[in-house]
This record gives sequence, C-alpha cells and structure tokens, in this order.
Amino acid sequence: MHPVYVAIDPYLIWFYRITGYAFVDFLIGTFVLAFIALTIGEFTISLAFLAGRKRIDKTNAAVVRYRNISIEALKAGDKKAYHAANKLANDAFGKSFFAQIALSAAFLWPIFFALAWMQYRFSELEFKLLFLERSVGSVCVFITLYAAAYLIFKRIKNKLPYFKRIKNILESYQAGAGDMKSLDHLERKSICRKA
Amino acid sequence: MEVFMKRKGWVIVGIVSTLAVLTAILYVCPAEAGKLEDAISKTPQGVGKGMIDPNAEPGFMGIPGAPKPFWVFTILWGVWVGWIFSSVGAFGGVMAGVGHITVFGLADYGKTFKDTNPTLNKLLTDSIRVCNQYLVGFSALISSTTYYRMGRLVLPLGLCLAGGGILSGYLIPKLTAGKIDLSMYVGYFGLIVFAVAGVLYYETTPKGQASRKAAKAATKAFEDAHISKKAGSTDKTDDRSHGIRVTHLGILRIAFTFYGVEFSFNPVWPILGGFVISGISSFIGVGGGFLYVPFLTSVARLPMFIVAGTSALAVLVSMISSIFSYMFFERIPVDWLLIGTELIGIFIGSILGPITSKYIPEIWLKRLFVVLALYVGIGYTTKGFLGYSVLPGL
Repeated sequence: MHPVYVAIDPYLIWFYRITGYAFVDFLIGTFVLAFIALTIGEFTISLAFLAGRKRIDKTNAAVVRYRNISIEALKAGDKKAYHAANKLANDAFGKSFFAQIALSAAFLWPIFFALAWMQYRFSELEFKLLFLERSVGSVCVFITLYAAAYLIFKRIKNKLPYFKRIKNILESYQAGAGDMKSLDHLERKSICRKA
Repeated sequence: MEVFMKRKGWVIVGIVSTLAVLTAILYVCPAEAGKLEDAISKTPQGVGKGMIDPNAEPGFMGIPGAPKPFWVFTILWGVWVGWIFSSVGAFGGVMAGVGHITVFGLADYGKTFKDTNPTLNKLLTDSIRVCNQYLVGFSALISSTTYYRMGRLVLPLGLCLAGGGILSGYLIPKLTAGKIDLSMYVGYFGLIVFAVAGVLYYETTPKGQASRKAAKAATKAFEDAHISKKAGSTDKTDDRSHGIRVTHLGILRIAFTFYGVEFSFNPVWPILGGFVISGISSFIGVGGGFLYVPFLTSVARLPMFIVAGTSALAVLVSMISSIFSYMFFERIPVDWLLIGTELIGIFIGSILGPITSKYIPEIWLKRLFVVLALYVGIGYTTKGFLGYSVLPGL
C-alpha cells in the first residue's frame, strides 16, 4: 500500500466498521468515501473556476456572440452570414469544449484516488448479480453510491457557506454576460408577441 | 412549480435506480482470480526480458517489476496535457496517450512479453487503451453533460449518432479486448496522430486561415449592417416558423426546419459517423471527440447549438458504453493511481493554458503541435508496423 494510504487507511476503514454487519458497513463506508471524493472534487473545481474564469468568460462570450449572430442571420434569411457566423460559433464551441474537459479533471481526480484505495482494500470482493451469471466488483458499488451522493450533495451544496459564495459569484457574472439566444428564449418571445 | 417537479422527479429516479442496483447485488462472494493475476501467474519468473520477478517492487497495475513512474513526473505530464487542452484543444488526448505509451515506458515493458506471455502483452495493451480513455473520456463525460443540458438536439440525428456510438462502444471492446498486441496498437495510434496532424495543419495553412478571416469579415459585415439597424428599429420582425420541426422522417432522408430554413441529412451518415468516431475513441482510447463537430457541421451544416447538444450527446453515450464495456464486460484492470495523479496535472495545466495563451499566439502553438504530431505519427507508425521507430526517443 502506498505510504499516503497507509497514513489515511485507519480513518477511512473506520467508516466500514460502524454497525458490525459486513454488507451494510461496506455500503456505509463506500458512501462516505464517495461523499468525501465528491466534496473534494467540488472544492477543487471551484478553485479552478475562480482561477480561470476570465478566460472561461472570454471563450463563452465568443460562443454566445457568434451563436446569436448566426440566429439573427437565419431569421434575416442571409445564408452566407449564417454559415460564416455558424462556423465561428462552432470553432469557439470546440475550444470551449476542450477547455472544459481539462477543467473537469479538477472534479474527477479524487474519484481515482478513492478507487485506488478500494483496490488495495477490497480487490478480493465480488458481488453476484441477481438472475445473472455475472458479478461486479467494488468499483460498480462505488460508482452507484457516488451517483447517489452527487444527487444528495447537489441539494445541500448551496446551503454550505463556501459553495453559496461560489454560486453568488456565478450568478453575478452570468447576469452580466451576453444573453445567449436559445430556442426557448425565441419561442417565449414569439408567444408573448402573439398574445 | 414545473421546474421543481422536474428536479424532484430526477431525484426520485436517482434514488430508485440506486436502490435497484444495490438490491440487484445478491451476495458478496470472493473474487475469482482476475485476468491480470491469471496472466501474471502464467508468466515465467525471473529477472530477464519477458519475465516477472515476484520479489521486485510492484509498479504499473501492481505488477512486480513493472515501470513505476515517479508521481511528480505523472503530474508534470498531466500539466502538459491539460495545458494543450486549454490552449489548442484536440491534441491533448494524443499527448495523454504518448505519455502512457512512451514517456512512462509502458509499451516497451508490455512488448517484452510478446513471446513469453502474449496474453499479458495484450492485456497490457488493453490497460493502456483503457487508461487513455478514462483519463480523457471521464472528463469529456462531465463537459458533455453540461453542453447537452445547454444545447438543443435534433432527436433523429442524436439517435442516429448515439446508436452508432453505442454499437461501436460495445462491439470494439468485445471484438478487440485481449486480441491487440502492443506493436499493432502503437502503429494504429500513429495513424490516428497523422489524422490529428492533418486537421491541425489545415488550420495553419493560408487557405485554412483565409476561410476563417472571410467568415469573420462576413459576420462583422452582417453584425454592423443588420443587428445595429435592428437595435434602433421599431419594426416588429415577422417571425416565420421557428423552433426545430422535423418535417420529413425517412430511411434515406430526415429533414427539419429551423426558423423557416430547411436542413436535411441522410441518416446513414450519422450512424456511420457515430460508429467510426466512437470506434476510434474506443479502440485507441483517445481522439474522436474532436471529429464530431466538423462531422456534424459538414453533414448538415447545422446551427452551432444543435451541434453542441448533439455532439455532446454522442460523446456522452459512446463514452458510457465503451467504458462500461471495458470495465464490466471485459474486466480490464486499470491503474487508478496513475490516472488520478495525471488528472491533478491536467487540472493545473487547464489553469496555466489561459495564462500562457496571452503571450503565445495560437497559430504558433498549432504549428508546434503539427511538428510534434508528425514526429509522433511517423515514429509510432514505423515502430508499430516495422518493429522499430525511424525517429529517436520513441
């Protein structure tokens, strides 16, 4: 076991010994591990966002601008302008997409460290599936409980002081950013006009 | 109220799904020897080439004597990959693969088992592929979910792309896991790198740059003439039919209108495109994602936000099916710690990229990566198919 894991192992394994019932303890311990990985991931991605938001703003502004122009060109029936603006919007989207991939690493890295620890501890465990000849390892249980932890965390996140602050920052800069024309936006405007 | 009900619905679905999965786990049982343990046990023991010394320190995937890159180097390589993603984009995935194949010495290590234990050789190939895919694919999953929620989707197009993606995401692992030796994998990787080099090169040519300049000029002209005029105008725009409306659904042609303009495509192309692009991604472990946007743009010249949502869905679906196939059906072992440390580096690199981009023009970065891509492409293709690289260092 890696020296770092040797140091934190006693703390992590404590969550797997709460009730004394092995399967229940495994679920509780894995859920807590997933929750810790999720919280750390949310924290680090918020740091990455704070560090890089100017560039994120700039790239998104280009996507918004060219996308809106392409829609206006489409409405005006100007195909040449539409194709030109659409090409630039797609280029800007491509850049934004790959930048987001890199940023997503800030959210994901704790998962792999959690899985590495579980591999040391529970590599010999398998879970047979009902009605099937297949079995799954602890990775499957972790991913399932991680998804559940994500749903729960999403609901409580904005009540935590640090994440509440991040949310306020996000809301303030979204209010100042360009209004991206979407289908919903255009449809609502049209409905209001008809009414 | 409607939004609240939608959110509540998702939470309920999530909780029910979690409970369903957990109750489906009938009972705990001891694991049978995994593919890796099985392969190791059949490898000759010793300290020579193609042997495993059981007393050696565990390295990659816990194999005794395997390369064990120092964690600082894996983070630094991750910084390089993340920097590329946030500066230029597409080439980052290729560099992630180069790290696993060459920089950390995993391919050369795996090749030593070609004669002594071909099963282990092929298992190591699959592990490298899967490590590539987890590294890039998981991150793409997250950003794809974001774009899918933001964007819009032409459902028939999305289904065609996703259908092709699911098929290859399942078939490629099924057909190739345990069958590709490292030399062949490195050779095919080299070919994909040539494709990336081609795309990057085109963007640096006068023709590639001229088309972008022309697009900018046309956009600006329209913006100045039409949008500024509209801002001061009191005339109401006569909205023609708007929204995505599918007008024709056929085996050879699907058509839809958006703002009165008709777009159409032959469904065979997105199915094929989804299959090929997802197949590349699943087979090599990287690449593919950067092909969706130009593919969709050329197939139907779709509005950008449709491309965003549709390509994001295609990436999402193909990644899920491929990773699921490798993880649960083929049970390919993965070195989680290696990927975890690389991801730390990628996230640092993603912050550095925007800072350095102020000082390094994008065109020169692309030119640098074209040279790198050609170097890697030639080196890997010759190494894979001739048995040796004509260029040093690979």
